Amino acid sequence: MKELSQTVFVVDDDDAVRNSLRLLLKSAGLSTEIAASAQEFLSNYDTAHPGCLVLDVRMPGMSGLEMQHELNVRGATIPVIFITGHGDIPMAVEAMQHGAFDFLQKPFRDQELLDRVQRALTRDTEYRARLRQTDRIRERLASLSPREREVLDLVTQGKANKIVAGDLGVSQRTVEIHRAHVMQKMEAGSLAELVRMMMAVAPQ
Amino acid sequence: MVALDHKGSEGGEHGETERVRTIIVAGQSSQRTRAVLRALRGFTNVIWPISLEAALAQSGSEDAGCLVIADDLREERIDDFLQEARELRRNLPIFVITDPDDVAEAVSAMRHGATAVIEIPPSYAVLCEEVARAMQ
Repeated sequence: MKELSQTVFVVDDDDAVRNSLRLLLKSAGLSTEIAASAQEFLSNYDTAHPGCLVLDVRMPGMSGLEMQHELNVRGATIPVIFITGHGDIPMAVEAMQHGAFDFLQKPFRDQELLDRVQRALTRDTEYRARLRQTDRIRERLASLSPREREVLDLVTQGKANKIVAGDLGVSQRTVEIHRAHVMQKMEAGSLAELVRMMMAVAPQ
Repeated sequence: MVALDHKGSEGGEHGETERVRTIIVAGQSSQRTRAVLRALRGFTNVIWPISLEAALAQSGSEDAGCLVIADDLREERIDDFLQEARELRRNLPIFVITDPDDVAEAVSAMRHGATAVIEIPPSYAVLCEEVARAMQ
């Protein structure tokens, strides 16, 4: 599957702000897509598209905070940088509590926004890389037989082959064979690596 | 350092079997701290006055219910403090009291792990609601 390139999405109802942001981001070599309303953005947005979002708080119709809520409902992880000319502390706190990456008050310096956009893009890249990694681990886990999975769970608890054999009621040799299959299927070079993999996919 | 009961006097008896968690107020005798203590006068087991360092040590205790940072601190110091507190107790509710309209400070505190940021003078209702929720 071809990987999508990162895009900075800008949603603002003010034509002048939208255009100046588009020019600013373009001047920094960033791919940009703009929308004049939350509805326009949401009708086209694919959560698999990497990037970040620069979002106005106050817009007619659906506000920026309402749009953030809708993105959360959809499971979108795109970092959101709110911009507003009329921000207050309760509004900023609400946005941050709901996962905003940043909250910037107008007027702001061009460089200030560009720095935050770059940080947001880096965060998105790192997050998506972690997600791909955990997806790969889950795929490998799914390829294990039920017995191999049992062996995996016990060895990653720190149990020796002999103890695992006793727990499962099989010979130590059988455990060794299952364990070798587990290491191969999980593409793990060591027990420590296997433990790290299990920790990466463990529920928080 | 003293614990106040709901009338504001020192001490405070608690049931032997029920653990009462503490509200740690980091702040000296500043106007902010006094405003926070007024807002929290209905709560028992408020610990104050306390320095940031002492607050950090108290935050590690199992009895710590929440932490209210009332002192007027420079941004870098509070951000470092929040990070340290988060490393110590990941789920401890931490409330930061800030100047009115200082959105940048509020955002920075939230990014560094504050549960919520409340403007001074802290509204009795808002602070009580946040702290009560944290103590549940």
